This record gives sequence, C-alpha cells and structure tokens, in this order.
Amino acid sequence: MAELALLTSFLAASVRLGVPLALAALGETVSERAGVINIGLEGSLIAGALGGALGALAWSSAFGGILTGAAVGALVAVVFAAFVVGLNTDQIITGTAITMGGLGVTGAVYQARFGLTGTTLTLPPLSSVPVPLLHRIPVLGPALFDQAPTAYFAVVMGILLWYGLFRTEWGLELRAVGESPDAAQAAGVRVRWTRFWATVFGGLMAGIAGAHLALDSGTFIEGMSGGRGFIALAVVVLGRWNPLWVVVAAIFFGGASALQFSMQALGWDVPHQFFLALPYLLTLAALAGWVGRARAPSALAHPWPKTSI
Amino acid sequence: MTDSGAESASPPSVELEAIRKRFGPVVALDGVDLEAFSGEVHALVGENGAGKTTLMGVLSGVVRADEGVIRIAGRPVRLAKPRDAWAAGIGMVHQHLTLVPTLTVLENVALGVRSAAWGLRLPFDQVRSRLDALSNETGLSVDPDVVVERLSVGERQRVEILKVLYRDPRVLVLDEPTSVLAPQEVEEFFSVLRGLASEGRTVLLILHKIDEILAVADRVTVLRGGRVVHSGVSDTMDSGSLARLMIGRAVAAHEPPRPSEPGAELVRLEGVSARGSKGEMALRDVHLTVRRGEIVGVAGVDGNGQRELALILAGAESPEFGTVHLPDTVGFIPADRLGEALVPDFDLTQNVALALTEAPRYRQGALLRWGRLRSATARLMDLHGVGAPTPAVRAWQLSGGNQQKLVVGRELMRSQNLLIARNPTRGLDVAAGRFVKDELRRMSRSSAGEEGEDPPGVVVISSDLDEVLELSDRIFVLRRGRLLAVPEDRRTREFVGALMVAHAGDPSE
Repeated sequence: MAELALLTSFLAASVRLGVPLALAALGETVSERAGVINIGLEGSLIAGALGGALGALAWSSAFGGILTGAAVGALVAVVFAAFVVGLNTDQIITGTAITMGGLGVTGAVYQARFGLTGTTLTLPPLSSVPVPLLHRIPVLGPALFDQAPTAYFAVVMGILLWYGLFRTEWGLELRAVGESPDAAQAAGVRVRWTRFWATVFGGLMAGIAGAHLALDSGTFIEGMSGGRGFIALAVVVLGRWNPLWVVVAAIFFGGASALQFSMQALGWDVPHQFFLALPYLLTLAALAGWVGRARAPSALAHPWPKTSI
Repeated sequence: MTDSGAESASPPSVELEAIRKRFGPVVALDGVDLEAFSGEVHALVGENGAGKTTLMGVLSGVVRADEGVIRIAGRPVRLAKPRDAWAAGIGMVHQHLTLVPTLTVLENVALGVRSAAWGLRLPFDQVRSRLDALSNETGLSVDPDVVVERLSVGERQRVEILKVLYRDPRVLVLDEPTSVLAPQEVEEFFSVLRGLASEGRTVLLILHKIDEILAVADRVTVLRGGRVVHSGVSDTMDSGSLARLMIGRAVAAHEPPRPSEPGAELVRLEGVSARGSKGEMALRDVHLTVRRGEIVGVAGVDGNGQRELALILAGAESPEFGTVHLPDTVGFIPADRLGEALVPDFDLTQNVALALTEAPRYRQGALLRWGRLRSATARLMDLHGVGAPTPAVRAWQLSGGNQQKLVVGRELMRSQNLLIARNPTRGLDVAAGRFVKDELRRMSRSSAGEEGEDPPGVVVISSDLDEVLELSDRIFVLRRGRLLAVPEDRRTREFVGALMVAHAGDPSE
C-alpha cells in the first residue's frame, strides 16, 4: 500500500513538474515549426513568473496572474521577434541576450518593488481542480485528474495545436515557412507575418508557464525559472516537434525531476543527478536518430530573406 | 492562334509598358514593352543576362520594377509580392523549383490556397479530386501522397506545374520548363502547353533552345541587354534569324566532332552496383571504361542512377558490389551550380580556392597563398571568359553561364585526368552553352596539362540528349540503374531518346 501511495505521489509530481515545461515547449514547438528557435524562452518564462506574481497580487486572483504572465511573456517575445524577424538578426545571439536581459530586468524590478532583502511574497494559490469521477480512479486519478487548471490547459493546447499544425491550412502554411520560406513565399504565404506571430505565441505560452511556476510555489524568487526555458527546448526535440509528443516528453522530464524525491523517500542510494541527466541523454539520442526520426524544421534558425536583391 | 482580329478586339491579357529595373549599377531592364494575348504561347528568349528572368520576376511579384506599368486584361496592377501576382491571376513556374521538399505533393499543391474559413481545415479530399482531374486533363501524373524530396527533378517539375494550374491562373509563366525533360517528354509537354493556351490562357515561357522555341511558340519576343529587340510571329522566323536576333550577330556553326584518339585507360568500373539515398538499388551491374582523350556521354532522365554514378566516378562513394579504378584526381561539375559547386556567399577567389587547397603551389605550410590564388582566379576568368569585374564579387552575383564557366575552369585546375560533368549546360543560353561545350571538347582533344601531359578523359552525365549527342565520342544510356551502350551506327535522337524513356513509369521493375 505504501508503494502504491508512493507511485501515486510520484506520478502526480511528474505531471505537476511537467506542466510548465509542457506549456513553454508547446509554444516553442509552434515557433520552431515556423523556423524561429527562441533561446530567449527563459527570458519570457522568468518575465512571465514576475508578471504572474505582480498580476496575481494586483488582481488578488491566480487567474489574473496567469493572464498578466501571458501578456508579459508575449511582450518579451515581441522584442525578440522584432529583432530576429523584423531586423533579421541572428536568432541564437538575440535569444541569449533576451534571456540574460530577462533574468536581469526581473531581478531589478523585483528588488525595486520589494526591497533587497525581499519580503517573501504570498500569492493567491493556484488550487487544483479535481475532475468529477475521474479523480477517484486509483493511482492515476490523483495524478492526472486532480491538477491545476494550467495542467488541463496544457493537454487541451497539445491537442488543439496538433490539429492546428497538421490538419488546417494555416498549420500547413506555418510548417512550410519553417521548412522552406522561399517556397512558402512563392506560394503566397506571408513568411514574416507568420514567423512573427508564431514567435509571439511561443512567448505567450512561456509567460503562462512562468506564471504557473510562481503561483504554484506561491511566491516569486529571482531566477526561479531555473533553466526551464532551456529544458523546454530539449522537450521540443524529444517530442519531435509534435505537440502531442511534446506533452508526453514534458511529463517525462517532469518525472525525471520527481524521481529524485521518490528516491529519497525510498532511501535508495542513487545520485539524483543521474535521473536529472536521463532526459537529456534521451534528447541526444532523439537528435542522433536512435529514438524515432527527429528532424528539425529545415529552415530553423535561418534568417529570411537571406539576401535582399 | 494568331488571330489578329481577336487581338484588336480585346485588350492584351498581359501588357508591360516601359518596365525599368536596376540592380545597383546594373540596368537589368531598360524600358521593356511586352504584349501577350490570351490563347497564345509566347516565348521570351535571349542570352543570359538579357533580362528574361528579371522580367519574369517582375511579373510574378518577386522583383519590384523601378518604373513602368503592368496591365492585366487591361487593368493596371501593382505586383509587389507573389501574393499580388496570384491575386492578379498570374501563375509562375520557377526555374529553381519552389516546392517544400519535406511536404507531400498534396500538401505542396494545397499550400497557400485558403479554401476553408480562416484556414481552419485542410480539405484534402477536395484538393485530391481537383488534382486528379488536372492530372487527367494535362496528362501530368504524379502520386499525390509521396514526399517531394523523394521525387526526381522531372517529377518535381510536374508537381510545380500542377501546383500552379491548381490555382487556375489566367496567365501561366514558365521559366525554362524543358531543361529537365527527356525529348519525348518535351513534345508531350508542349502539347500540354498548347492545350492550356487553347482554353484561353496565356502561356508565357522562357526558352533557350531554338528548335524548341520554333516548335511551340506562336509569338516570340527577343530580349537583348534589357531591351526588346524583336517581337513577332514565330512563323516568320527560322533558326538562323532567331539566333542572330538573340546574340546580335551570326553564330558560327560548330566544328564537327573530330574522331578521338583514345589514350591510356583512366577509369574502369566492373560489375558495379550501388544503393541510392532511399536504399534502393540505384546502379545495377555497371561496366564502364574511360580513356584519356575521349568524351563518354551518359544520357538518361535524372533519377535513374545518375547521381550515384556521378558520385562513384568522382570517388565520393564506394559501390556495394564490383570494383572501381579511378585516377588520383577527379574534377567534378555537379548538376546544381549554386547548391553543390559553389558557395554563393564566397567571392570567386574563395570559390576557386576550395578546389585547390591540396595543391602545393597554393600553400605554404598550413596557410593558403591568397595572392597566387587571386591571380590564378583572374587568369581563369580571362581564359574561360567569366564575365565579372573582379574576382572579389560573390558567386551568387554571377549569371548562370558565368557561374558554370567558373566551375569548369576550376575543375580543370583541380584535375588534368578526369572530369565528370552532370548536365553541364543546363540553364545556359545558346552562347554560354556553346562555350562550355567547346571547352569540354577542346580540353579532351588537346594536351591540356601545362607540362604537355596527355589529354584528360571526360564523362558527361546529362538528361539533355542533344548535349550528349553533340559532345560524346561514345554514348551510353543510364535507365533504371542499368548502363546500356549505344551502338556507333544508332546514334540518333530517336533511338537514344527511346532508350531513355522506354518503360518509364513501368512499376513492374
């Protein structure tokens, strides 16, 4: 019985830790499918976390925090997109600058607002919403059907985005932009417009992920994004740029983090770093083609138009 | 379809007036006027650099004209981007194909056409049935569910045309559509074009080969140096007058091939079989020898093992079965000039240097002798007539003909033994193509080496039958991975052409 309870808590923790990764990675999937790799995701994430905290305080509601976080994350991505899509700057360098800037600016804003010592914020809780009936299923019920609204949102978005990317005309256009912008343009698709909005959507989702992070832990801490923006980039690869698999991959990454707690509970003597490293090894395997076919969009990170004649 | 009554009654379907376009100091179009009517096949011809492709770019919204008026069916239009051209009813089939390689044929055809509200559905059934209907109508058939990157160049072109026709354009613009087709396919293709014109569309196309122009066009407009030098009904022209109009002077008839005196054996392939990129057997039991001083022509439609044969002859890949003997250095002229042969953003010296990094003459330890490389490039440009102001221009700034001259010259510097050329004159105009062919012939006949070595051997692998017939001392056909020798007394267009396409599309093999 104790093992079963442990399994339940492990699964619940996997999903809970996977949610912010799933949200950020789903947004990134869309922008990468359009050919924009957003290394600045971490910047959107941390900005979303601070925005989420401030918004939740101002509106005294977790939902208000999520909305504010989404808006702030999108805004950061607008800056990124203005450079890489508007001015055709290098995506990697610009993204790195956005991440560094995001971490710095949020720290500065936080300190300006709450002082250097930082009184610990107490945010309105992001309470979990049990799904009627389903949450009573043994083991799986509490893990899958007694989660925060953002978790359900991530799953619904996974399905919607899968449909959008592979079953609609705009999805086809977006994928064509990421594979071969010249061909897309010749076919009459608005390449820059598509890339811009795909990137902003990616930032919006990362903002929600950040807000979830702040509200889920009930407070904002400087640098609390903790590299999740970069993990999300790996999740996209492991999920093979397919929203459904991205959700699965995110929970898998979440599981790797959750495993270290379970290990402690079981008293096993395995270095927890091993489990943290596991998803990355799998990501490398996916890139090397050992785990199915993982092929990045052909025009990923390529500025467009290449040369202006 | 040269009904002069109709011309005066309705406005031209396409009317260009005083179109001007400059690229920096270069005037590409210098006040071009053009009229094309519905129901006609209208050929636009001229040398490389005459402005044809720029003019087509203006019509398809890829290039914005500096000055001038464009009228479609009498109404002035602004064509600032490809979307505008589509909206005006102009469909463009580009020379550099514009399909997304990782998408299926069906997806490529549907791309960019919004038929569902907000684009929130993808009506594949609808696309499929219309595509089927179009295939039946035009005789251009292709499997809609195959991913484009698995298709041969010829098949991709069919898709490209179907994709454009799917949008039902009033004006169809094609940039050198025949360059990837076999002779039999060209005739079929021309009848498709005539059929499209007879439905009331306007077919505007760029062509290089004079016999093709005379075969298909109702009217011909000749561009030279960015200006229209002639526009008229093709019935009044013959190959001589057309060539004179294009080049501005008479073309010397080319020297008939001198019989070769083959020297030492350079290449021996015995029982060579190799797999292609998809794991299929792309070459089956190929036997081939090449000697110094001869040109061996391998005719065939791309996708029948051409790529694999070229890679093996270039020493870039090893066969699965069989033995291969090659000389130590091999010069290689790939099919795709900008994709494989040259680095577009490198200048000409850097592009030449790519092939010479091993040569002791151009090295000092680990360093390259850029001074020598620059002067060698300048000499090469001089020798092969590469039209560029200095070796410091970027490769992409050159016209196709000049790019090819640079590649030929560079590969000759790389190897005095063996030169492999794939479609060496594809996309080149008459004069540039002539030049490249003459170069290949000249070098295979004379002792090209500076030390008076024996002449090199040349293998031309080409889908252009005329090129193979004109250049080669011995001819083979590569079809479905098998190399078939053409007997000396059967070197005719008809015989070799039939061999190239025999059983094409036969699924039994």
